[in-house]
Amino acid sequence: MATPAEQVQDPVGGVGCSRKRKEDARFIQGKGNYTDDLKLPGQVFGAFVRSPIAHGRVVSINKEPALAHPGVFAVLTAEDLKPLNLHWMPTLAGDTQMVLADGKVCFQQQEVAFVIAEDRYVAADAVELVEVEYEELPVITDARQAMSADAPVIREDLEGKTEGAHGERVHHNHIFRWDVGDAAATDKVFASAPLTVSEDISYQRVHPCPLETCGCVSDFDKIKGELTVYLTSQAPHVVRTVVSMLSGIPESKVHVIAPDIGGGFGNKVGVYPGYVCAIVGSIVLGRPVKWIETRVENLAATAFARDYHMRGELAADEEGRVQALRVHVLADHGAFDACADPSKFPAGLFSIVTGSYDIPTAFARVDGVYSNKAPGGVAYRCSFRVTEASYLIERMMDVLAQKLGIDPAEIRSRNFIRAEQFPYTSCLGWEYDSGDYHTAMQQALEAVDYEGLRKEQAEKRAKGDLMGIGVAFFTEIVGAGPTKNCDILGIGMVDSCEIRVHPTGSAIARLGTKSQGQGHETTYAQIIATELGIPSDDIQIEEGDTATAPYGLGTYGSRSTPVGGAAAARAARKVKDKARKIAAAMMEVSPADLEWDVDRFVVKSLPDQSRTIKEIALAAYQHLPEGLEQGLEAVEYYDPPNFTYPFGAYICVVDIDRFTGEVKIRRFYALDDCGTRINPMIIEGQVHGGLTESLGIALGQELAFDEDGNILSASFMDYFMPTAVETPHWETDFTVTPSPHHPIGAKGVGESPNVGGVSAISNAVIDAFAHQGVTHMQMPHTAYAVWKQINALGLNK
Amino acid sequence: MKVKLEKKHAIDAPPAAAWSVLRDLNVLAECMPGASITGQTGDNEYTGKVSVKVGPVQSVFGGTIQVTGIDESNYTMKLDAKGKDQSGTSNASMQLTASVQAGEGGGCELVGNSEIKVMGKMANFGGRMIDGVADQLISQFLANFSDRVLAAGEGEAAAEAAQRVAEQPKELNALALLWGMIIGFLRRLFGSKESS
Repeated sequence: MATPAEQVQDPVGGVGCSRKRKEDARFIQGKGNYTDDLKLPGQVFGAFVRSPIAHGRVVSINKEPALAHPGVFAVLTAEDLKPLNLHWMPTLAGDTQMVLADGKVCFQQQEVAFVIAEDRYVAADAVELVEVEYEELPVITDARQAMSADAPVIREDLEGKTEGAHGERVHHNHIFRWDVGDAAATDKVFASAPLTVSEDISYQRVHPCPLETCGCVSDFDKIKGELTVYLTSQAPHVVRTVVSMLSGIPESKVHVIAPDIGGGFGNKVGVYPGYVCAIVGSIVLGRPVKWIETRVENLAATAFARDYHMRGELAADEEGRVQALRVHVLADHGAFDACADPSKFPAGLFSIVTGSYDIPTAFARVDGVYSNKAPGGVAYRCSFRVTEASYLIERMMDVLAQKLGIDPAEIRSRNFIRAEQFPYTSCLGWEYDSGDYHTAMQQALEAVDYEGLRKEQAEKRAKGDLMGIGVAFFTEIVGAGPTKNCDILGIGMVDSCEIRVHPTGSAIARLGTKSQGQGHETTYAQIIATELGIPSDDIQIEEGDTATAPYGLGTYGSRSTPVGGAAAARAARKVKDKARKIAAAMMEVSPADLEWDVDRFVVKSLPDQSRTIKEIALAAYQHLPEGLEQGLEAVEYYDPPNFTYPFGAYICVVDIDRFTGEVKIRRFYALDDCGTRINPMIIEGQVHGGLTESLGIALGQELAFDEDGNILSASFMDYFMPTAVETPHWETDFTVTPSPHHPIGAKGVGESPNVGGVSAISNAVIDAFAHQGVTHMQMPHTAYAVWKQINALGLNK
Repeated sequence: MKVKLEKKHAIDAPPAAAWSVLRDLNVLAECMPGASITGQTGDNEYTGKVSVKVGPVQSVFGGTIQVTGIDESNYTMKLDAKGKDQSGTSNASMQLTASVQAGEGGGCELVGNSEIKVMGKMANFGGRMIDGVADQLISQFLANFSDRVLAAGEGEAAAEAAQRVAEQPKELNALALLWGMIIGFLRRLFGSKESS
């Protein structure tokens, strides 16, 4: 809900306005331009032959029957890619991944051969004609068994290698060990603490599941030696760099274009075998090759998220003041480590695990392991494992509260970092920029009449009804990131903006980020409008074309506003600095005598003497006094000095049917503090979307596997996708604590609701059983899983 | 994905008559809806195919059947079947131990233990239905088997059985299968209520 202050009339439609999204005009009329909408002359279609088994040797591949099929142009296998050294490719996590099965398959649905045919129907028919013989091998699908002594070797290419990309490997299925914090000091606190609690908490394997699946069209121009790739990428510049590195084509001749994208959520950050095969196909055939995933392929083969198996331990005093936190995580990355984290962070930003609390001592260890499941471990609407970390600490706070008989809201308040402690350095090394947690929590508790809810719950419990109240507070760490510690493949995680103001006073801005539906065309224009006084409707925003946009690391980890938005504001300020000089020349005064007023420079003490930005823009392309260069444009590459730390207080109320186990969300209240609010309507839309995803995760989603590695949730028949039917009314609220280091004080919000929502819903479900001594239940809390808990406790009698 | 099934089926015929059907793989295969033996590649090795529909996935599996043990004195046969579907998207295997035991009043009982393993698309999409489908398949198989045995006998019962064999559908009847599954589901539903 926008406050009256936010509805204030702004002549330029700048920061703070609840403006309708510019891009929606085309999206709601079906006029978006997605990768699969492209029809290039001579375009052909590629499709994969995929492995039906989860682990095995490829004994033979017979592609002749497929090649004999009318309309088939080529069938690529690892043997064909070997001479080009493209049968394996590097992942963003420092590992390598098979592009096509090289002697063995390591997960079900792994890419085995790539059939290129005149259209997608012929390709699908021909895929069935490729004959592949497999010899099955034992399968590992449970991370907890991956490092047992007799576990099969999944990655034979790494056998005997005791050093991985992130240090020592202690087992043939081990990827990395990442320690953070002071282990000895933490152990010491635990040894003498008045009270300790521990819990095994898994965050199940889920999928970002964007509405539009992944795909590309690759077009190689043999005459010019230029490669153009249209693809669904959240980070087109990074893809250009990777493609150039892999193919040997100079980066100046590689042109990556990300058109409109129908949702990414982390699924569209990495480089997939389909892209490589389409590129090779277009080079070999000299024709554009399109590859578009089916829904099944998207769910079963491209990047999943989470699959973290965690043990959390808290040491505390009798009043519930936490003295130390100890965490051990077993991270299942699948058959290849293809997560997309900043290079130095194999477990992402998991060390934000101390959450919103002033915890003096902590130690966390993450062991990454291989399994016979699809590769990935991406940040699904999350800033690199923040979601897993936040879920762990928010569950543990409830476990501690229960042990001590203290209310969950109260135990959080007792441990919060206090407003006067900011900037606050956590014991695991992060400097939280700003926050006021007590105020946010108090506002949330009053908004829902928390005391009244607890009273009602007590009455319901007396009658045998199951009602749960979930309290969750989260602090995110977003906006990767400062180049001093964040890079991908050696490239610092800056982002960029270039602004050109045209002679008639309108402008175009190009950025290195890439919207997937977040509304960048609207919000960036609002930022620039406020800075430059150009109406936001007159500011065009362009992203995704690497030939025109300045280099940037893309959109994920809520980095667009913290990094790209900062670049936009600072590029605008550079433009404004020049505009000031031109205005001063126009009015024959000193630049220092001018002050800015909405859309013009005014001479101090002479308010009738002014030049609007529109007038200045025209002057910028006319005769100028010596020392001033024509044109009105600027480029900014922004290296953030720190991350930003959005936070929020979420409260969820559920009623559970004690005979069916069905969970009904009666009420959900979300208070978000994302610093300065650029477009409140877009913020609310983001919160609604993220909360709906969190409902899916908490109550139904899981990429499940049987013991043979068959994926049991490869379609929407089995993978729960919440719709309007399941979605309750979301109540949104906010406080505003600007980031002190961001040019306009904004922090980013897109991922917060997914982070906080899952904890709030899961805590609510478990809280419904707290009076029965239940301390934890694994997600997803499906009706069947909840019914089993009810039945085990005999509450349905 | 594994399905383990144990089934017993009483047949009003002498054990020797049942055994003669059981040990003839060609006749045995005809008892399985949608299955047939397509060739013999060795003393105890055969090729065959079976078409199955599980949920939205229809597959024609082709593969090998190996008779791994025949115990004439105990009327017991063991076989391993392995196959993959024509599109290369699913694999399946079955290990079966079947024996004929003496039953009441001169009759006999066919006892079958099988473990069916399914990989790939069939498991991906048919996962929730596969137990029910396998159960129905085996039930139809047992009924057909029983008819073959009875048809080899004499009298009115034999004639009726022979008639049923002649009318036996050559492919798995999807509608009948679905009905069978619904009945099975309802039985389990009400069965569990009575027991609790």
